[in-house]
Amino acid sequence: MENEEKTLTPQESLRVIRETIDIAKHSFRENGFHFLLWGWLVVIASITHYYLWKIQPVERPDIAWIVMVVVGVPVALLYEWRRNKSERTQNVLHSWYGLIWLGFGISMAISIPIAIRGGLSPVPFILILVGFATFMSGVLLRFRPLIFGAAVIWAGALWCLFLSPPQHLLLQAATAVLGYLIPGYLLNAQSRRHVQRT
Amino acid sequence: MLNRVAMYKELDPLLLSQLRLALMSFLVVVRDAEFNLLKEKTGATAGNLSVQIGKLQDAGYIAVEKTYKNNYPLTICRITPEGIAAFEAFYSDLKQYFDK
Repeated sequence: MENEEKTLTPQESLRVIRETIDIAKHSFRENGFHFLLWGWLVVIASITHYYLWKIQPVERPDIAWIVMVVVGVPVALLYEWRRNKSERTQNVLHSWYGLIWLGFGISMAISIPIAIRGGLSPVPFILILVGFATFMSGVLLRFRPLIFGAAVIWAGALWCLFLSPPQHLLLQAATAVLGYLIPGYLLNAQSRRHVQRT
Repeated sequence: MLNRVAMYKELDPLLLSQLRLALMSFLVVVRDAEFNLLKEKTGATAGNLSVQIGKLQDAGYIAVEKTYKNNYPLTICRITPEGIAAFEAFYSDLKQYFDK
């Protein structure tokens, strides 16, 4: 940008806006950390819950989900705290991304007790919400594997209609692998390639 | 054609500069950014960037915060609500110009 005070024509103005906004949008990169963290935790918790329910029954098999609070929350918070420290911008896309998942967390915290109190398996409701948040993340990141992942998760939610509640847990583990672990690894690989290029 | 010329004159003159418009376009997406990052993304010299940031700050389009990070001085530029409104108005005027 050599010209200090050159007055732009409208065509040049439009070009500058488009090019710069594109640069700004691409400065928002996700490395898929949260998809990998929560994806693995959902797989572990779902299979453990199934195991403690059907194979080696205990009184409260749902204790398996404590791993989300004990491991997931502190690791995610620590990761975000470290990222905020090193981040050089507060990208508005990053804020929207965070808000989508905050909205998901609140919706889930409301729907799980409602489902359980109504004697229903919460898994289909969780899958519908995860599918939506994953879909929105895919749109925001312009990353198709996440959009396909969301479709798989929504299909899983529908499939729950034909399965028993314990089977829902195994389906949940499978949708976590296909819906956000695989897209998460692909996102991570894309982010590494981008870092190597820059 | 006369209409177009008149409209061109109405476009915010402060944003009809390549660097200032690039700064505003970048900040409208990222909301705030370090001085060095803006320098890197716009390819401007530090001196020129400081001057243009000063003009945008005087107009109230951006706010500049000087702070420290790990004992190093850090300058953060943040787009203000007035800046966002000015950018949106500029973009809307520009679109109208092309629609005529």
